[in-house]
This record gives sequence, structure tokens and C-alpha cells, in this order.
Amino acid sequence: MPRWRVLAVFLLPALLLYSVFIVYPLVTALDYSFFEWRGIRQAGFAGLGNYRDLFSVYPYDQQLWQAFAHNALFFAGTMLIQNTAGLLFALLLFRYGRGKRFLQAAFTTPYLVDPLVVGYLWSLLLNPTFGPVNALLEAAGLDSWALPWLGDTRTALPVVIGVNAWQWVGFPMLLFSAALAGIPAEYHEAARVDGASAWQAFRRVTLPLLTPAIGVVSVLTFIGNFNAFGLVYAMAGSTGSPAHSTDVLGLLFYRVAFQEGGVEAIGRSSALAVLMFVFIFGVSLLATSYFRRRERMLV
Amino acid sequence: MTAGRRAPGRVAVHLLLWGYAVVALLPLVVMVLNSLRPTSEILTAPLGLPASPTLRSYAWAWTEASFGTYFLNSLIVTCGAVLLGTAVSALAAYPLARYDFFGSRVLGAYFLAGLMLPIRLGLVPIFYLMDSMGLIDSLLGLTLLYAASGVPFCVFVLSAFYRSLPGELDEAARLDGAGEFRIFGQIMLPLVRPAMASVTLFQFVPLWHEFLYPLVLLRSDEKFTIPRGLSQFFGEYTTDWSALFAGLVLATAPLFVLFVLATKQIIAGLTAGMSK
Amino acid sequence: MKRRWIAGAIGVLAVALAACAPGQGNTAQVGASDQGGEAQGGKAGGDKVTLSLWSWRVEDVKAYEKILATFEKSHPKIHVEFKPFQATEYPNILATGLSGAAGPDVAQLKSYGGLQPLVEAGQLVPLDGKVEALSGFDAKLLEGAKGHKDGKIYGVPFAYQTLQVLYNKKLFGDNGIQPPATWDDMIAAAGKLKEAGITPFAVAAGPDATWTLPIVHEIFGNARYGSTRFRDALLRGEKKFTDPDFTTSIKLIKDLEPYFPKDVVAVKIPDVQALFASGKAAMYPTGSFDLAPMLAANPSLDLGVFQVPPPPGSPVTTPVTPGWADGSFGVNAKSAHQAEALELVRWMATPEFGQLYAGELKQLSAVPGVTPSDPLLAEMAKNYAANGAPYTLLVDFRYGQPNGDAVFRDEVQKMLAGQTDPKAVAESVQKGVGQWFKPGN
Repeated sequence: MPRWRVLAVFLLPALLLYSVFIVYPLVTALDYSFFEWRGIRQAGFAGLGNYRDLFSVYPYDQQLWQAFAHNALFFAGTMLIQNTAGLLFALLLFRYGRGKRFLQAAFTTPYLVDPLVVGYLWSLLLNPTFGPVNALLEAAGLDSWALPWLGDTRTALPVVIGVNAWQWVGFPMLLFSAALAGIPAEYHEAARVDGASAWQAFRRVTLPLLTPAIGVVSVLTFIGNFNAFGLVYAMAGSTGSPAHSTDVLGLLFYRVAFQEGGVEAIGRSSALAVLMFVFIFGVSLLATSYFRRRERMLV
Repeated sequence: MTAGRRAPGRVAVHLLLWGYAVVALLPLVVMVLNSLRPTSEILTAPLGLPASPTLRSYAWAWTEASFGTYFLNSLIVTCGAVLLGTAVSALAAYPLARYDFFGSRVLGAYFLAGLMLPIRLGLVPIFYLMDSMGLIDSLLGLTLLYAASGVPFCVFVLSAFYRSLPGELDEAARLDGAGEFRIFGQIMLPLVRPAMASVTLFQFVPLWHEFLYPLVLLRSDEKFTIPRGLSQFFGEYTTDWSALFAGLVLATAPLFVLFVLATKQIIAGLTAGMSK
Repeated sequence: MKRRWIAGAIGVLAVALAACAPGQGNTAQVGASDQGGEAQGGKAGGDKVTLSLWSWRVEDVKAYEKILATFEKSHPKIHVEFKPFQATEYPNILATGLSGAAGPDVAQLKSYGGLQPLVEAGQLVPLDGKVEALSGFDAKLLEGAKGHKDGKIYGVPFAYQTLQVLYNKKLFGDNGIQPPATWDDMIAAAGKLKEAGITPFAVAAGPDATWTLPIVHEIFGNARYGSTRFRDALLRGEKKFTDPDFTTSIKLIKDLEPYFPKDVVAVKIPDVQALFASGKAAMYPTGSFDLAPMLAANPSLDLGVFQVPPPPGSPVTTPVTPGWADGSFGVNAKSAHQAEALELVRWMATPEFGQLYAGELKQLSAVPGVTPSDPLLAEMAKNYAANGAPYTLLVDFRYGQPNGDAVFRDEVQKMLAGQTDPKAVAESVQKGVGQWFKPGN
């Protein structure tokens, strides 16, 4: 165990920077949720009034739960599509020969583009009248598949999840690649000598050793998805078009805080942010300690 | 028989990977192609090949939007923030991950908490904070804010990687009489390099695109970053699609360059990690 | 050992918190434009004052530079710097900017409910008695620049918007159609156009277009719900949005849907603008604000304008042109150069400014006596003067959360997606605004 003075050298710079510029303003913002607001002027103490409003004032009382459900679907869909694909790509590329670096770069490039631009580009591609996606489907004789993707309440959310996965798949891929590279070669060889099939080796050796990376990716996906904003905003507008079918908590927060611009906006939006924070933080802590325990079991 | 089973499998793998590479790159190709077409062509057919490619929009975007200045400002702010943020985080994550000292859990949670809040929530308090420190219309203020905003993510990811390193490594070094700083600098840091490269990249990109805080905190033209300058440019020329695409390509191009350099680092880190 | 560590951590936090405690007094002392103003003024030499003018009209930079050059000629001691910000983020930038360093001296302000948060936070200078020319302004337009509770005027209105249908004269001529005199004429014309393969109405209800749905409703339904009379009854509490006339006015949108572009819920604003500008759609129900961009997109477009004839059964039997005050220019209460800032807004109330504004920007100036040179804008102005009525959801129902406009647009989009009906739309609006709206003013 190092001495406290040594610890301080390691910890203090980050602690100071982070406390001053992130924690302090955010704690202040949380404090705002307990006050009544008149524009940017703090009026009286409101107690839990702003919180009560979120659950009782129409239409927020309905939109809150609907948006929450969409965030949950967003997370489930992303884990299923994006992170599974990311792991698959990492595994396939692990021993891939020529072109490996190019492929890794290609899969990651969508991430380099601003989410607002990605949303705009895909809206063009999926446009029901002149978009090439539907033109391709029709050319392939799949006319019944040529849907108004972003204009149909049934397809809009899955499409947004898909585009989000398209943009972010490089993220789990890179983290899994780094984790795979960190597994000592003896483990793989040991498995191969035992005569295990590729699948068995993956299940028994690789997957358990990837637990820390899976934990990191899952928790970050969870946090990212429950704070989702840019891409959804670009593809579905601030109201989660059509008919709120893609509405998420990030959009609801944006509407209450910035767009509808009532005099009480700061109080109510801060209350919503506190609720989001408590939920996301709570779940993330539980998840982290779960993965930490799994890791310990391995050692 | 094994060979027979393997060959189609390998072809499927190639098809899947290269097929997906096309899906990943095609929309970006559209962006570049449209920047080479005049607006009238884009309006009649939003997607298509340029009939007679022209770089006119680029020249125009570069001069009209004074991209040179914005580019330099973005580079200063983003690089400064990423370097500072990653450096302090690499230090802080090490003891948090490798030692179970009093308060280490609480401190870990404290850092984690910063990940969970939408950055927009802090808008009003951050404005007052910067105002009271005299950091309105200052690139330093923006750099510090951005650096701090990357700390939770960096600490989180780097902790996980420090934790995954076998315990014998530093024990052996400690028996040899190495101090904490030497263990950190000579053993730990090189081993987490692949993770550092990823973390740098994943901090760099969102900061490069971030436009809300420059809007609220910056005032003078000569201090604008690229997204702040672009928002101005886009508003001014809403109907000039060709110029908009050119602007977007110009704004994204530096990321591609940096990314190619970064992957080199990541790959180097990866191979180094494998040989150990 | 442990205790020292805790003490250290607490110390760090304490230092951090102290360092950035919001210096309310501090901020108040720093005059809004001290930094920018002095630096710039110093460079120019003498006692020239630099005013910072904030706006959300990024696209108008060039026009404002021209307009302000005229002001500087007659006011040689004042230099005005025009600073536009992204429109979607402008309200927050302004609210924070007005309370800190290097803020604006004069700012473009949203109207009605959009102005109220700034008024209630005391961030603006009341202009009553300070800008004499305001007494000559149209009372309806001044409403948009007044505090909702105190009734004081906080800005000099610069423009108003009117709502009507733009139509393509060539397409009408080719299909033997006249601007409709009755609702049935209009439906017949739409049918004819649709058969000819032309989109009759360029209406979008996609992700970026929900805010246009209340506008479409006003254009087709204002007369049907009873126009100003219904609005007055609403404000007195005698009627509600659930009134059968209002419900029927919502149903009109659903009835017209066959004449909108296919899959209207997936259609975005640039799509319909391209349809109309390229002659693939014949009629564009929209605001006066869209005339200039349409002509810029296709200068050869031969456009006409008509007011929608009242549908059968309307309580109001003459056509109506709904409208509202677009915004105003006000003075920052923390400006270090209030005298000069007042000088500027006083000038903005003169016909000289009005004429320049109307000419450069092709918008309807709020300054009395200014007539637009563009014949179509002149016609819109004439229609508004004769048959003007407030766009009530915007004018009266944006003073609380949820605002009436927001509930309405979401519900109408739901209706077009086939998920609700006109009656439920009306009930939702009433339920939403009923939570904060107190009738009786």
C-alpha cells in the first residue's frame, strides 16, 4: 500500500479538475431542482414540487414513462445488435491477415462523423420517395419492405437503434480487440492443445477472460443509451417523431429545459435530470459491482 | 474434410467483413460526393454521382467561413483538453484500480458519477462559474471544461484495464525495490497503452464536434472553434447544400487524419500487448 | 493517517467550492459589455461606444450590416456589432448572456411567452416613456413585446408574420384553376391537381416539421373555429378548446390529408420546399416568412397568394389572415451603455429602419406606415390589415408549461399517423393548458 502522500500525487490533479468544472456545476444544477424559477431568477423554495409536477402534470406524466420505456428498448437493442456485432468483429479480426487494419478503421469511421450529420445522412438514405434504400428493396422485388422507415411508428425506433449501432460498433470492437490482445497467448494455446473446438475455447476460455471488457462496454452502453440525444434529435426531431414513437428521456429533457421555454423550465428540467441521474447512477453502480465480483471469481 | 469445411467458412468471413466495410463507408462517400456537386444538382437528385466534379464549394467554404482560424482554435482546445484529461486520469485510475485503500470505492463512484449526467444540464451553473473566474470568451476556459468532462470516462475505462493486469507484475518490481512512480511509469503505463489510445480517440471525437458550450461561452469570431463557426456558416447559407457538405467534409477531415495516426498507435499497442 | 486523508479530500472540495461560488455581486458589477466595449472603443480612439447587438438570425448578417451602417452614419459616436447565434439555442444563450460578462447591449427578443422568462427575471429595461414612437405602433403587435403580468413594454417590435396559402400561378393556369372563392372550389381544385399528378398542398409533418402543424391548422381552420371571437371567449373562460367548433377545425386537417404528400408523417420541411420550388406541388400553406426563401430557391417561380375561404358551417364567413408579432429589440438591464442602447432601439422604431428592414430582408416591418415594396408582401399586409386575427395558440397559450402549441402539434401529428382523433386532440390541448391557464384577463 503506497503512502498517502504518494496517493495524493496520483489522485489530486484529476480530483481538482473534475470537482471544480464538473461536480460543482452539476451539484448546483441538482440544487436548482428544489426551487421555483422565474426565467433565470430563483424564486422560492419548492421542496419536491418540481418532482411532483413531472409525475402529475399532463403530458409530462405520460411522456416520462413512455420515454423511459423507449430508453430501455434502446439499451436492449444496442446490447443485442451493436455489442454482439462488435464482439464478433473483434474475434474475426483477431487473427485476420492482410486488410485487418483497414477493416478496423472502416468499421470505426462512422463514429468520426457528428451524430447530427449521421442522422441527416441516414434520413436521406431512408427517404421514402427518393431514398436508395427503398429503391434497392423495390429493385429486389421486395416492394412490401419499402416502408416509410422513419415515418412509421412501428419501424422508427428500431431504425434509430440500427443507425446508432452503425455509428458506434467500432467502439466495442476496439475495446474487445484491446482486451483480446491482453489475454496471454498461453491460454489460447492451452485450449487448443486440449482439443477444444473453436466454440468451446471461446465459451470456456475467451469469454470469461473478456468479463472486464464486457462489463465496461455494458455499463458505458447503458449510460450512453439513457443519455441518448444527438442522433435521435437529428433523425426524429425534438418530439421523437412520429407520434412520440422514438421519444427518449434526453429529448424530453431538451423540450422541458430549452424548447418549450416556460418560466418554470429550469426547476422542472433539473428535477428530471436528477431522476435520470439517480436511476442511471444506481444501476451503473450495481452493474459495476456485479462485474467486479465476476472478475474476482475468475482469479 | 477439414479443409472443405473451412474454405466456405473463410469465404463467409471475408464476405461479411468486407461487405460491412462497404455499409460503413458508403454514407460517408455520399457526403464527399455531394460536396463536389453544385446545389442545383443536389436539389433535383439528393444522391448521385457528380456530373462534373468541382472544388468550388471548398474554396468558398474555406474563405467565407475563415476555416483556418477555427481549425487552429479547435486543435488547441481539443488537443489541450484530451492531453490534460487523459494525463490526470491515467494517474488517478492507477491507485483506484490497484489498491483497496480507505475510500477507494467511494472515490471510484465519485468519478463514475460524472458519466451519468447530460452535459446540457450544467449549462446555467457552468456559465456562472466561468463568468466568476473571468473565463467567458476564453479558450482556456473551454479547454479546462472539456478536459474535466473527459475525466470520468477515462478513469472508468483505464481502471478496468489496470485491473486486468496480473498482480505478479508490480509485486515483482516492488520486491526489486522499485517505487510507486517507477512501477507506474515503467510497467503499468506501457501496458495500458492500447487502452490509452482508444480512450484518447473516444474523447477527442465528441469534443471536436461539441457546439453548445462554444455557443454559450465564446463571443469573438477569432476565438470560434469549428462547430461554432460552422453553426454560423450553416445558418447563413442554409440553402447552399453544396457548401454545407463541403463544410462538413472540411470539419470531419482532420478527424480522419488523426484517426489514421491513432489506429497506428492502437495497433502498435495491441501487438506490443500480445507479445508479452 | 486516515483522518488526514479525509481532511485533505474535504479541503480540496472546500477550495473547489469557494473558488467558484457564484459571485452574484461580482457579476452585477461587471457591466454587460464592459469587456468588449472598452477594448473595441479603445482601438477606435475618442469616446466611441461599441454596442453589441444579439440576434438569432444568422442568415441575416449581411442585411443587418447594411442596415446598421445607415445608423452609424447618423450616429457617428456609436458602433454596433451584430452577433447572431444559432436559433434553436438562442433563448438559453440570451438568458445566460444577459446576466454575465460580455453580454449584449441590445438583443433581439422572442415575443409573447418566449419573452416572459426574461421579463420575470428582471433582465430587460422597460421602454415605457423612453421610446416615444411606440405609442404609434399597432396595439396587437405591441402585445408581443409586453410583460404578461406587468403590462410594460420591453422591446421595439421589428416584424410580424401572416399566414396564408402561396400558390404556383403557372400550375394553376395549366390546370385551368382560379384562386378559390369557396372551400368547395378549393377542394375541387386540389382533386384536379392530384389527378394531374401534382401534389396539391406542400405540407410536412415529419420530425422537423411538427411546429408547422399549428400553422397549417390556423390557415385552414381559423374561420372554422370562430377566429377572434372564439379566442376572446377562451380568454374570458366562456369557451374551451373542447368546443365542437374547435374540434371540427382540427378535423379539417385530417380531411385534407389525401391532398398532402404521401406518408406526410415522414415528410420533412426541405422536402416540401423542394416540391413547391420545383413546381411539383401547387399550393404551400405557410407564413409570410417563407416567401423570400422560396423566391431565393427558384427566382423564376411565379407566385400568387390567397386566403383560405371559410369552410361550410364556419361561425366566421369571411376569409381570415392569422398573424402574430415576430419579435422585438430590447435593452439589457445590465448594459454599461444604456443611453446608447436606447438610442439604437429608438432608431429601430423609425420608418427609416422599418423601410430598410422591409427592403433588405423581404419581411413585414412592424413600424407603422412602412409598406413592403414586394407586391405579394403588400397583399399579405393588406389582408392582415383587413382580416387579421391572432394565432391564438402562439399568442396566448405559451405562457406556461406545457404550452398549448406544443401539445397541439404533437397530437395533430399523432392524428395524421392514425393514432388519435380530432376530439381527443382538442381534449389533450384543453387538459394541457388547463393546468396553468387562468381565464379572465
